[in-house]
Amino acid sequence: MIQRVLDWLNARTGYRRARTVLLDEPLPPGTGWLFTLGSVLLALLTIQVVTGALLTLYYAPTPDHAYDSVLFINATTAGRLVRGLHHYAASFIVVAAALHLLRVVSFGSFKAPRELTWLSGVVLLLLILAFALTGYLLPWDQRAYWATVVTINIARLAPVAGDAVASVLQGGSTIGALTLTRWYAAHVIFLPALLVILVVAHVALMRRHGISGPVRAKTGRAVPFYPYHAARDVAVVLVVVGTATALAWNGMPPLEGRADPTATGYVPRPEWYFLGLFELLKYFPGRWELVGAIVIPTVAITLLALLPWIDRSRAREPHRRPVVMGVFAFGTLAIIVLTALGWSDRPAAVAAGGGWSLHETAGHVLANDARCTTCHIEGGVGDPLGSAPVSRSLEWISGHLLDPEMIAPGLREPPRPFSEREMAAIMAYVRRLGRAADLGVPAETNRTAALVFARACTNCHVIDGEGGSRGPDLSRIGETHDLDTLRRLIANPKSVNPEATMPSFGRRLTPAELDAIATYLARRQGS
Amino acid sequence: MIELPSGVPSSGRRRALLLFVNGSIALIGAAGAALAGAFALRPAAGDQRSRWVRAGSLADLPPDVPVPRVLSFSRVDGWHSARARATVFLVRDGAGGVRALSATCTHLGCQVNWDADTTRFRCPCHGGVFSASGEPLEGPPPRPLASLDVRVDQADGAVLVRL
Repeated sequence: MIQRVLDWLNARTGYRRARTVLLDEPLPPGTGWLFTLGSVLLALLTIQVVTGALLTLYYAPTPDHAYDSVLFINATTAGRLVRGLHHYAASFIVVAAALHLLRVVSFGSFKAPRELTWLSGVVLLLLILAFALTGYLLPWDQRAYWATVVTINIARLAPVAGDAVASVLQGGSTIGALTLTRWYAAHVIFLPALLVILVVAHVALMRRHGISGPVRAKTGRAVPFYPYHAARDVAVVLVVVGTATALAWNGMPPLEGRADPTATGYVPRPEWYFLGLFELLKYFPGRWELVGAIVIPTVAITLLALLPWIDRSRAREPHRRPVVMGVFAFGTLAIIVLTALGWSDRPAAVAAGGGWSLHETAGHVLANDARCTTCHIEGGVGDPLGSAPVSRSLEWISGHLLDPEMIAPGLREPPRPFSEREMAAIMAYVRRLGRAADLGVPAETNRTAALVFARACTNCHVIDGEGGSRGPDLSRIGETHDLDTLRRLIANPKSVNPEATMPSFGRRLTPAELDAIATYLARRQGS
Repeated sequence: MIELPSGVPSSGRRRALLLFVNGSIALIGAAGAALAGAFALRPAAGDQRSRWVRAGSLADLPPDVPVPRVLSFSRVDGWHSARARATVFLVRDGAGGVRALSATCTHLGCQVNWDADTTRFRCPCHGGVFSASGEPLEGPPPRPLASLDVRVDQADGAVLVRL
């Protein structure tokens, strides 16, 4: 019965012939494990298509909502797995593509008649990098935002068309809603369409000329692809996909704080696969920047694309092509070394996510006073503070703080507006709320100190990277000053140091406030 | 182009490899489908809490005449939290009690209006008619208008409706 249905289907569709064409490709003897990389790439790209399509169920490409929608995805195990797979598979694709390229170069597989297979592969490599670049803007976290700023400014460096290219990449007059929708459209529509066309062309060309096989043809019987080589492919794919799943299962895919164009303490760093380029730029300061940012990558890609016409000898053995192999060995080494240097060059200033900074604590105290909690309570006009991640842009929030009634009309008694310094502290608190679901309330003892710092000290002094730079950094002031000295110093700076330019705060602070801030500062010592 | 030798013998090794390849692909496919299902069929983790919303003052309500009130409340909808609005009709009966009727027609969800001339609720979509107490009288509606919980704040006479 089943046989008759299948026969009927075959008579209409000819699927048995398609199966023969697709799976019974004869492979030259000696085709080994190194020839599985193409299939690994195909499998990983399939994973990206599936997980990417799933992610669009919840992702919203607008600056106001992108970050919240990613937090929403992260809130379930299935969400973390899907997003994690998409994240780690992207990294694996870059590695697998690089290895595939090195295998093709070492085996001389790009040589006639396979020039166009090679060329389509080079375009695919660029497409993969374009996917990586457009993909990591989408979560709209700090890394995403600042990487985009840097990318667009690098594009601006290009001679002649730089500004035009940059404005095409940016969409609007600033990096914002129009940039995000543009990169989103590229990531989920335009690039995938190109990818499918090029993958089909690449595989069709590969099938047309057959697999190049080992460098020196071996004698023996050709075997069909399925199941003999397919078994190797599947074994490697199982290991790779298993590793990506384990990574996604164990580690939350990274998500930094909400994108904040005003963050001065943030040190932008690209994803690891762009660290080499990131590091390269450091060696070309000033007017030479163009060389590192544009010239070297362009020359490298052009040489790569022209390789079949540069290395034209019929010899495929690596030792008979010393120049090409030497250049590639040097290039690979250079990329590895630059990436390693970029990797190890981590700034120490990256704030640890755990504790609340003094500024955030002050914002927490200020925001929970009667002015906000008139409305922001359970059952009130607004949502309770800290009950949900803030889904408004920081611009909206600062407008709301300046004039609550303007943005939320109908309030009977608009509260007294906040001062500029108080607002800065509240914004720090709001950013903190946006960063994670960590809503633990800071210890009671620091509250007064935090308020004093936010209202009086922050204009001139820095603690943990926040504040002004007129006065010294107070992050470790307790190492050099004891409690009593600090108290006298704050109350009347000239009593400790006659040349001090700091105003005295003895009359501006209550004794309790003076005590709180001095006690806090005395405890500030290296961790 | 190299050619396959005709008639590759069907050996035990070939059968084992076929099992491995097909089994692995089926395994990856099943795991992927399970993950996709769990991801896509995520239960709506919306805001399930009900809350009391102030809908006006008892003293302002005329007896036995439904008064429409537009209530505004915050609602969490997945990653989106927004102000939502809903219309309810407050009806004060002679004995001093208050009822709140949802304005949503029980037929297909249009919003009903109060017709003071005939003292009936009328649905603009398909001609449904409800009595002042929300009972269906004419047309397609299958059920009475939904009745919402109401309480009166004794301190200031405010009417609160649970949404």
